Amino acid sequence: MAKAEKFSVIGQKLSRVEGYEKVTGESRYIADIVLPGMLAGKILRSPYPHAKILNIDASRAEKLRGVQAVVTAEDTIKRPWGAFFADQYPLSVGKVRYVGEEVAAVAAADREIAEEALDLIRIDWEELPAVFDAEEAMQAGAPIIHEGKERNIAMTFDVERGNVERAFAESDLIVEDTFQSAPQWHCAIETIGSVAEYSPGGKYTIHMNTQTLFNARYRIAAALGIRETDVRIIQSAVGGGFGGKSCDDNNALVAAILARKAGKPVKVINTREEEFLAGSRPRVFMKIYVKMGFKKDGRIRAKQTRVIADNGAYSAKAPAITGVAALRHDTCYKYSDVKTQAYLVYTNKIPTGAFRGFGNPSAEWAVEQAIDKAADELGIDPLDLARMNAAEPGYVSPHGNRVTSCELKQCIDMTEKMMDWKNKRANKRPDTGLGLACTVHVSGKRHFGDYDGSSATIKINEDGKALILSGEGEAGQGCYTTMCAIAAEELGIPIEDVEISRADTDLTTFCLGAFASRLTYISGNAVRDAARKVKDQLFEQAAEMLEANAEDLVSREGRIFVKGAEQKSLTVSDVARARLFRRGGAPIVASGKFDADSVLQDSTRYGNESGAYNYGCQAAQVEVDRETGQVKILEYVISSDCGTVIFPVGAEGQVEGALAQGIGYALIEGLKIEEGRPINPNFSDYRIPSMRDMPPLVHGFAESYEPSGPFGAKGLGELGMDPTAAVISNAIFDAVGIRIKTLPITPEKILNALKENG
Amino acid sequence: MKQKIILQVNGEDHDIELEPNRLLLYALRDDLGLTGTKEGCSIGVCGACSVIVDGRLVSSCLTLAVACQRKEITTIEGLAKNGKLHPLQQAFMEYGGFQCGICTPGQIIAAKALLDSNPSPTEEEVKEWMSGNLCRCTGYYKIMESVMAVVHNKVTPEQRPSEQRVAKIQSLDVYKPRS
Repeated sequence: MAKAEKFSVIGQKLSRVEGYEKVTGESRYIADIVLPGMLAGKILRSPYPHAKILNIDASRAEKLRGVQAVVTAEDTIKRPWGAFFADQYPLSVGKVRYVGEEVAAVAAADREIAEEALDLIRIDWEELPAVFDAEEAMQAGAPIIHEGKERNIAMTFDVERGNVERAFAESDLIVEDTFQSAPQWHCAIETIGSVAEYSPGGKYTIHMNTQTLFNARYRIAAALGIRETDVRIIQSAVGGGFGGKSCDDNNALVAAILARKAGKPVKVINTREEEFLAGSRPRVFMKIYVKMGFKKDGRIRAKQTRVIADNGAYSAKAPAITGVAALRHDTCYKYSDVKTQAYLVYTNKIPTGAFRGFGNPSAEWAVEQAIDKAADELGIDPLDLARMNAAEPGYVSPHGNRVTSCELKQCIDMTEKMMDWKNKRANKRPDTGLGLACTVHVSGKRHFGDYDGSSATIKINEDGKALILSGEGEAGQGCYTTMCAIAAEELGIPIEDVEISRADTDLTTFCLGAFASRLTYISGNAVRDAARKVKDQLFEQAAEMLEANAEDLVSREGRIFVKGAEQKSLTVSDVARARLFRRGGAPIVASGKFDADSVLQDSTRYGNESGAYNYGCQAAQVEVDRETGQVKILEYVISSDCGTVIFPVGAEGQVEGALAQGIGYALIEGLKIEEGRPINPNFSDYRIPSMRDMPPLVHGFAESYEPSGPFGAKGLGELGMDPTAAVISNAIFDAVGIRIKTLPITPEKILNALKENG
Repeated sequence: MKQKIILQVNGEDHDIELEPNRLLLYALRDDLGLTGTKEGCSIGVCGACSVIVDGRLVSSCLTLAVACQRKEITTIEGLAKNGKLHPLQQAFMEYGGFQCGICTPGQIIAAKALLDSNPSPTEEEVKEWMSGNLCRCTGYYKIMESVMAVVHNKVTPEQRPSEQRVAKIQSLDVYKPRS
């Protein structure tokens, strides 16, 4: 329920705190960092999807003028690393498992020399049989990619809640089908890069454009066999993350290994082609079989899925992503009896990983189409069917997710109004159709060491300005503005008086970084806790100065006074100076923390993933051209339940940007991979949406308040793209009666389906 | 064989020596330290490296530096004057026309090139022109609004145009949250 809180900063017309630097080109991204004596690093990558390395001869490269270091696995401790499973090496040990894998690297005076040196490295290979399809890789006799991983299965689980067999028997309608999702690359306009330095004292300093600094530090330390604090990660400005800059790749490690051997700073920036081959880990693609049982009135009775997820050659976040695809959507609607079997399978392709939405877009692509199919067969408006089954506050999913705030029904109602759904549905035009889908997402996810928390430090300077020190991951999404707004609101100072420093693992306290739509909710709570604590220190000092009780004080617009006696006030600056400049003086500084009230999933995957769940509903009206197979989105509508909106322009931008990625995923984006070799790893062939691809959009935020959130807020960032592919596919079905079951939905597939349909 | 040339960037002459195959992008970024111009795709598709050369919008990743001798080059660094932002820069800040900001210099330069030759484009013309500048963050709506704000001379908005797009819950007669 919405709390009647009056805010002076939150929800106001705020603009980005780093705005000036961004619009003037002053913001310093990784490629802009130049250090004295810095060398250019380049990586030699595998041309084969699966091959043994018999010998590497780098002697000619080493002799090339300008080359300062050539490294291979022999320069490493050959220790595997990974987010969940340690199965990849910084540089290939003995064999390669995908095209693009890092085999050797060169540091040289400039890029051109480094590239020339790569051509001089001679490698003797023995090609091995490779496997590219997850289902083929699971067959007996398929080539084994990792020793000891039988049938190439990296992970599998089987979960049943309730009694699915009985629930299907009690169902009036059963629908079943198989849907295939697709890989999708992050395509941040800035590629992954690092600038690494090594001091002979044993410490690495690595400038990175990562969205998860402390996870990067942990993984790099593990792979190099050193202690965490022997690595210092300093975050540069980040030119877009979307999950792709979570340090699941080897870029920073290679830079570090080169810097140590060369004794000089080394910069390694992925080219666009490298980014496609072996940079950001693309969305895990899955084949999902879904079977659902419904009662005549539309109530969901049972659901069964079988998920086969393509891990690629190594494991990044895919184990967790597969879990989400199998289980998360059971928090969207009210379920009782569900069963899922999931397999994560190695193939000889780029490792897959975290992309905005995690496992949700794949799962919703399948399940929301199955539900749409059921609505059609039952003769029920899909909007009414969604409303009837929608989760509500207090709902506990069969896997233990406990829903606190939930305005899914409000979102469905908003979608209906914004789309003028009933009217459009009643007056359907030929080849034009309506589709919708609902979604749920988390606000943080408990899966790293039973911790889903954050911390932040705030200090008040003598001039009255607050500085936030946070190790969280601003990747461009605007979380710094949200954190500054929360601190300003709590401290009673204008947002212009709040600054935030970029994350640095030596200076900021431990934070997990940007993933799972967690920063507003998790780090927002930590920032608010820190702000409360520094406010206590300020009030303690001010109480002495005003001869009042600290409990009677309030702060507003940078002034502190006794409630009701505003005329006698002190500035925050007055108080901070008085606290510091005296005998025994002390700075005003405090650290705050937060850990969500969630529960780590047990061995049966029962638990409560997140402290809060975000909901949304989307709808599209599309027109299908029967001659060309083109789909035109005539109108798009999105409603989001993210609790209190802290930073309106930022929140709107999250929804709008997510939609663009969702439309790309649904209709446009695809990488052709032949025999494990990407055929079109560039922006001219792998097209992402441009301004002209965006449809007319209306969207809105539900009136909502999350009691455990900072000022009632919860997560938002991923919600906007989760259901989009299903929404568009459902609308195409409504328009022309065909259902496309593999992504992306290309004109070719539509024409073929229309032909088959007669 | 290096060549000595003069590059005129943002009204200032720079003597530089470079290889004839040096791209304008690298001459600006690495030789002159003007890192506001960004590299996104390296093949002239994404628009992150957009600069204006003699009034024409070009991709500096496809342009040779030597070919720009005696031409007027404008980069993002040339837009703000004495700490005062160009109206397009101001609009991108006010209207949220960027998120991560990596494509932003290119977006703003592209928009400037458009408005320099056509001060009052229609939304359709803006869409056509700006489709050569990719952005992965914003979904483009706020970029369009930023550009149109300058066209309509409404850089400091009374009401942000997105308020028409972003529905107010109060105006929709919908399910009310439970208490």
